[in-house]
Amino acid sequence: MRVGLLPTDRGGSYRFVIVLLAILGILVSALPVVVVTIMSFSAAETSGFPPDSYSLRWYGEVARLFTNEDSSSAQSVVDSMVTSLVVALIVMVVATGVCIPLAYALARGQRRVREGMELLFTLPLVFPLVMLGIAFLLIAESLALELGIWRIVIPHIALVLPFVLRNCLSAMNGISVELEEAAISLGASPMRAIWDVVIPLMKAGILAGLIFALIISFNEFTITFFMYTIDVSTLPIWMYSRTVSSLDPSTLALSVFIIAADVLLIVLVDKLIAGKGNLF
Amino acid sequence: MSETHLTIEGVSKSFGDVRALSNIDLKVDRGAFVCLLGPSGCGKTTLLRIIAGFEQATSGKLLLDGADITDLAPHKRGFGMVFQSLALFPHMSVAENIAYGLKLRKASRVEQKDRVEELLNVIELPHIADRPVSALSGGQRQRVAIARALAIQPKLFLLDEPLSALDAKLRDNMQIELRRLQQSFGVTTVLVTHDQTEAMMLADELVVLSDGVIQQAAPPSQVYQSPVNPFVADFIGSANILPAVSTSQSTLGLLGVDTGVSVEHAPGSTLQAAVRSEAISLRKVESGGTGIVSFARDLGPVTEWLVQAEGHEIRVRGASSAVSPTVGDQVSLQFDQDRISVFAS
Repeated sequence: MRVGLLPTDRGGSYRFVIVLLAILGILVSALPVVVVTIMSFSAAETSGFPPDSYSLRWYGEVARLFTNEDSSSAQSVVDSMVTSLVVALIVMVVATGVCIPLAYALARGQRRVREGMELLFTLPLVFPLVMLGIAFLLIAESLALELGIWRIVIPHIALVLPFVLRNCLSAMNGISVELEEAAISLGASPMRAIWDVVIPLMKAGILAGLIFALIISFNEFTITFFMYTIDVSTLPIWMYSRTVSSLDPSTLALSVFIIAADVLLIVLVDKLIAGKGNLF
Repeated sequence: MSETHLTIEGVSKSFGDVRALSNIDLKVDRGAFVCLLGPSGCGKTTLLRIIAGFEQATSGKLLLDGADITDLAPHKRGFGMVFQSLALFPHMSVAENIAYGLKLRKASRVEQKDRVEELLNVIELPHIADRPVSALSGGQRQRVAIARALAIQPKLFLLDEPLSALDAKLRDNMQIELRRLQQSFGVTTVLVTHDQTEAMMLADELVVLSDGVIQQAAPPSQVYQSPVNPFVADFIGSANILPAVSTSQSTLGLLGVDTGVSVEHAPGSTLQAAVRSEAISLRKVESGGTGIVSFARDLGPVTEWLVQAEGHEIRVRGASSAVSPTVGDQVSLQFDQDRISVFAS
């Protein structure tokens, strides 16, 4: 907190400006969460903000959705949820599994190669997501293969790769070659040296990458919207189809659970890597 | 009679077009402490890395006890190395660092613990086993790095400028410590340094490198007293390198003074002479001196002078006294005959 270090006698206005900006920032980023949470406790049938009265009826509705057979949509919320989780887990494992050796190779390789590759892997970030979705749809259709869940997994991997790679690369940056050489001089094979020295020191970056991949994939909507089929659909798609005609407050109750799970995950990892690196 | 432990035969190394080492031949005796000494960029670190196996020589051979190890992978060599950055594993405690090599050798937990304890006693830091590396001071890290390398009972002990990060006083202590450890373990040691005082202090054998070539390999006192060329003379203890001639009596004429040192070169041939600053004495004269004092500083026990003579600046070091010449004085120079090295020009 640098606020406390700012001049307060005559330059007090700086502090005022910074506090104002901070409040504004917090409001903008936290407002959706606050609104969704409040609305989820509404007792009204329709979704007006603020609600007239409060109840837990929509949470009951969520529970009912999960326990009862649901005939109103093609895929039940449970199926979508399971698909979302499976997709997110595969994406997380594959993306991280690719990025650890990739980050190692780029960090130890030639500088020019590294810069070029980093640019290449950053492309999905600057590409409009709608275009990315269309592109993946065209590719999937032209392949004429039954891809199953991989229809969604593969685009998600492309999407999360830059985030995971960036985390792994910045973790690699602080690990000098001499550390590996020290392990090797003590009798470790090069692979063993990586396993014993590089991987443990990359741990914070790897964990951050894992979490990023999981959350981004689980919440991804735009590309998935192009790729989902009747058989393979994710939770965000289910929520969208549920709310597209009229806002169904039970999805809001469901969102509160998702938000809570995400926050829990981030806090957990932050604790795990405490002092050893930053998640963001 | 000492036996040869490590033999380096005709080792050369090129990085692209740049030749880092040319045809290095060196024999290291068992238990010897060898210092590779030279200015930065002379190839000394490259040579050490070739010995460790982290660089491959472009040509040439490495023999350990007569066995060819040129192509042996570095992790199979069993050489303990201390790196310039020390490279202690930051995610392990002191004990884990020291035990790492033993763990790889599948030593039992008890063995590991005993060995760690033994080494911590040797480096006189018995109570730090469970501390994280980040909690150590510079000197402690140094000792732990040395202990880690010695824990595996290395065939060779390699050190790459390990003391350069320490402040002067600590470095002095560590040099003594290092020499003591090396002798008590009796391990053949190769240390790289650019600090000639450090090299003189530690080495049994001094290897002076420049431009990828061994200039001289000999015990420190021999390198100091009879350098084989002007470079060595200048690099070890900064001598005055002066042009000289062979006089008609086949003695060495220096700055117009007949030093009385007999030379084998034909009368009249031009030579170079290296004279240590402490091998010259000054005498104040009223007139007709060889040079004029341009600078003098009293360092307490000794005084340093700069003397301008025949277009050369000569550095002189001698005992301080009340009659020492001061700036502007005319002086005559006298050379200590035994401490002049003569080279063909």
